[in-house]
Amino acid sequence: MAEMWISMGPQHPMTHGLWTLKVKVDGETVVDTEPDLGYIHRGVEKICEARDFTQITTYCDRLCYASANTWSHSYIYAVEDLLEVEVPERAEYIRLIAVELQRIASHLMWLGAYGPDIGNLSVMVWCLREREMMMDLLQELGGSRMHYNFPRVGGVKRDLPHGFAQRARAKVSLFLNRIQEYEALFDESTIFLIRTQGVGYSKPEEMVNHGVTGPNLRAGGVNYDIRTSHPYSVYSELDWEPPVERPSIKGADCYDRYRIRVEEMRVSAMMVLEALDKIPRGADTYHEPGDPAILGKAPSRAPEGTSGSHHFEDSRGESMFYLAGGGEGRGKMPYRASIRSPMFITIPYASKCMVGYKVADIPAIMGSFDPCIGETDR
Amino acid sequence: MNLRGWVEGLVGWSMDNVHDALPSKDLDLTVTISPPKGIWPEDILLGRVVNLQDGFADMQPALEGLFSATMICTVVFTTMMLTMLPIPYIERKFIGRLMDRLGATTTLRSLWIGESGVTAGEWWNQLPFGMGAPIGWLNKTLNSIWGNDHELEAVSRVNNRGYHGYWFLLPGFFQAFADFTKFAGKEHIVPKEADRPVYEIAPVIIISTTVLVFAFVPFGPHFYVSSPELSVVFMMAIFGVAPLGVFFAGWSSNNKYTLIGGMRSAAQLTAYEIPLLITVLGVCVISGSFNVIEIVDFQAEESNVWNLFMLPLGAALFLITMIAEVERIPFDMPEAEAELVEGWWTEYGGMRWGLMFAAEYQRCYAACLLFALFFLGGWEAPFQGTMESLPIVGGGLEFLLSLIPGIAWVLIKAWALFAVFVWIRASLHRVRTDQILEFGWQWLLPLSIVNLAIAMFLRVWVWDGSWGIVAPVVMILSGVLGLVILVVDEDKEALESMKRPYSTYAVTKAYPGRHPDTKLEDLQRQYKAYSAVKAASSVSLSDTEAGT
Amino acid sequence: MGKVVSTSSQKSAAEAMASALSSMEGVDAAVSERKSGTSPRNIVSVDCSGESWRALAECMRVEHDVDYCSMITGIHWPEGSPDKNWEVVYHFMRMGVTDPPVIDGMVQPIVKDPTSLEGKEVPLEIEVRIALPETRDPKVASVQDIWVGADWNEKETWDLVGIDFEGHVGMRRVLQPHETPVGFHPLQKQHKLRYHDFEEMYDDAQGFLRKPSDAGKIK
Repeated sequence: MAEMWISMGPQHPMTHGLWTLKVKVDGETVVDTEPDLGYIHRGVEKICEARDFTQITTYCDRLCYASANTWSHSYIYAVEDLLEVEVPERAEYIRLIAVELQRIASHLMWLGAYGPDIGNLSVMVWCLREREMMMDLLQELGGSRMHYNFPRVGGVKRDLPHGFAQRARAKVSLFLNRIQEYEALFDESTIFLIRTQGVGYSKPEEMVNHGVTGPNLRAGGVNYDIRTSHPYSVYSELDWEPPVERPSIKGADCYDRYRIRVEEMRVSAMMVLEALDKIPRGADTYHEPGDPAILGKAPSRAPEGTSGSHHFEDSRGESMFYLAGGGEGRGKMPYRASIRSPMFITIPYASKCMVGYKVADIPAIMGSFDPCIGETDR
Repeated sequence: MNLRGWVEGLVGWSMDNVHDALPSKDLDLTVTISPPKGIWPEDILLGRVVNLQDGFADMQPALEGLFSATMICTVVFTTMMLTMLPIPYIERKFIGRLMDRLGATTTLRSLWIGESGVTAGEWWNQLPFGMGAPIGWLNKTLNSIWGNDHELEAVSRVNNRGYHGYWFLLPGFFQAFADFTKFAGKEHIVPKEADRPVYEIAPVIIISTTVLVFAFVPFGPHFYVSSPELSVVFMMAIFGVAPLGVFFAGWSSNNKYTLIGGMRSAAQLTAYEIPLLITVLGVCVISGSFNVIEIVDFQAEESNVWNLFMLPLGAALFLITMIAEVERIPFDMPEAEAELVEGWWTEYGGMRWGLMFAAEYQRCYAACLLFALFFLGGWEAPFQGTMESLPIVGGGLEFLLSLIPGIAWVLIKAWALFAVFVWIRASLHRVRTDQILEFGWQWLLPLSIVNLAIAMFLRVWVWDGSWGIVAPVVMILSGVLGLVILVVDEDKEALESMKRPYSTYAVTKAYPGRHPDTKLEDLQRQYKAYSAVKAASSVSLSDTEAGT
Repeated sequence: MGKVVSTSSQKSAAEAMASALSSMEGVDAAVSERKSGTSPRNIVSVDCSGESWRALAECMRVEHDVDYCSMITGIHWPEGSPDKNWEVVYHFMRMGVTDPPVIDGMVQPIVKDPTSLEGKEVPLEIEVRIALPETRDPKVASVQDIWVGADWNEKETWDLVGIDFEGHVGMRRVLQPHETPVGFHPLQKQHKLRYHDFEEMYDDAQGFLRKPSDAGKIK
């Protein structure tokens, strides 16, 4: 059969979002790929030039809707860099809890979508159910199930609600139990192993040169994590290590990328439990919104000539905001807001990883990189 | 339940009545024409003497055959369609339970229908005389065995479920009817560039060959359409024509996805036809006949051992190849939704798709029925032969068992096997096409030949009117041994030090199977107390209904 | 506790790189200290001219092991000074990531202790700013061949801001549709956001306050 271009997308059950992947196949083998993004380009960067710093937080939640908290926090840290704000320690702990719970929820969503890609339909329901537990906790913190608008410049919107610590501990420890069931369904299944091992190799140096970070990089056998290399927040005060996977000789394959995210879920869960213990003034004290213990003072204008940026460890890699001050409203709005999305860079790389494998491997490889198109297209 | 006997008797009785109702006198319908002698010399005799009764008696066997065949066909087809209705029901309900997997709590709770006044929850406490106490105990035990004793999650998240079944019976049963009504109402779309004749004929091939399989499937000892000598051969042949229809569908839709799906399907089905046929050949060899009814009779009457126990390898092979033939997970690559949307039937809509979807379930059902007939003794109750030959109670048991029609046993076995199909579908992943083909050609084909050799050995050297004691025991033990070898986990240390990665530098080590970690267990023990604290403390239950 | 890179080692590494880079012509590097969360960050902030960008990029990659291009930001300053009408800000990181070695047929993951990193292994953030004078077609040398991560970033910068990258192979629209008219780059400041103040969006449901240029358009 001759070579032909197949267009997977934009309407396709596999693609984890709205984009097109054109693959050139020779029989069943993939010869060339061309990703086509931009279907949900909403112009967030342009919109941000006309919004207050506090108003932009809402947009950042919607960048990657599966992992909303990590994006709004990524933005807030950049604003705090721009405005030079000091954040109280209790607020940092609360932010850490929110971000790590969100990371667990995001990885659960990924696992719940990856199972059906490989063919296992049950695990989607199981993962989504555990994700409901995390979303319940995040709803208590942030007020809604998906887009929380939780951080404020200088702190957080609200303190941990009454009884949150107790519920969070119960749910997170139940979740730690449930991870074993997912592993039973994946690791103990020969079919899953033959589908994901030996497929989609990627090596760390190549990944770094291409701009891929996060769990995809750590699956390659390198323990690079922005939380430890460019430290921010209170990660240094918790006893944890970024999980690293031992890849195969040819590089990290889909199985490694799957395993690293399961381990990340465990690590994040442990971090949440530990943070609840270590939070200053205890997890059961409650401060009103606006209390200086959870919200520091912040100027509202950034004069021209200033800039702020922050690298942040998002669920999918390194996310970054660059804000140039001096915009509308005499500096109340950024002159330019630039957003770095890990998936925007990883999707072309993942497309390159697919060349040489079979068409049936495309969902396995693409799913293992965990694409989220909201942040890709901004 | 002697369907054939009843039908033939009924038809014969009615034909006889017609025969008797016809006048028995000769009717002289001759006409003599005397043309003028100049034109034609002799008289011309036209017409005949007709005796209606005798004429009818000549036709009667043929008429009886026609009518009884039509009636039997109708009855069997209707039975097949009606007994197929539980199939999607089983699939939907069982998958729902498997996927939800909130432990025994949800499953047992959801059996209650009609929630007015009785909330979802411990409905067993409402039964009179404390009859529900064992159910409650069972629920609790199952939950605690399978780690679901966190009521916080199990109760608060499941909430009340309303069931809208027909009165109290079979909630969700009529979903299948609703589905088909919907399909019937949809538009029939033919893609513009599609090859129209082929496009239209593909569903015809698929559906007709599938229905034809049921021509020879006996539902009971006298409940079949026809039973020629080589019925197994015909059934397998007809079963194998459907891939042609699949390929036609994939090709003619003018769609790259369907083309790939059709080709994958053709390759996969071809690869798995051969081990299937050789396995079925093994069954026929061991049973001594190509006729399905004789195979079942062999198991029921002559050998008193189900073929499953004599040919465990054959049964396993049959199961695997049949799952591949009906394109279910783990072998549903041709219609894998993750890549190909719907695979080779993407472009079909409306009733054509509905009928092909039904045909897929019919093939599943045929596979389950064939397994029940070939390996599970068909219409014989378990241990029927043994029970009937018991000294004192044998006679009574024989009478009791004869009250249950054979079709009931066949159906129970077929439905139970379908539940196994569904279980496999819910838990396994999809195998990639080239891996499927590799598995079929490199593993199943040699194994099926081995199975055939075993069957030949057993039939020729071991069979002497009965299996004896040694042979069944040996075969059962070998089957169990094979299962144990496949199922038991491997050496853990070997796994850990394997060159393939199962370890990480993380808080907890990971390898397939259990993940014992003392730090984790400490934490969990510590935080499990919070469930108890919640119950006991002043923080009330409504406060912990998170987010509701 | 959790091991993170110490601020002092990052500061000294940043200063080393800044002084090394400043020695290049057209390049002016400094260490800027940012407060972020609980611990300050030190980043190397470099001002470079358009002509010496390529040489600087190669130096950074080869001599200073800067291996990761994070983002490329293009900014349009129509009211800025005549030398700084356009600005391209590159964000790099030095990660110090190498392929893990294969020992005895098994890969040994590299687990570095962040507290004990020194010299060239210390992870750093580098920000390079290139100011371009007023021009109709701003151009900068492309570094697509040095860091592949810059590839799609450059496409996006051209697509949205209009800054071209010389030597870039395969420049195309990535976020906007392929049929977008030539020369349309929305993040340039002459393109205004319609209903620039958000009050106008929500308080004027029937459009009485709409601008005449927007007549007939759906919001």
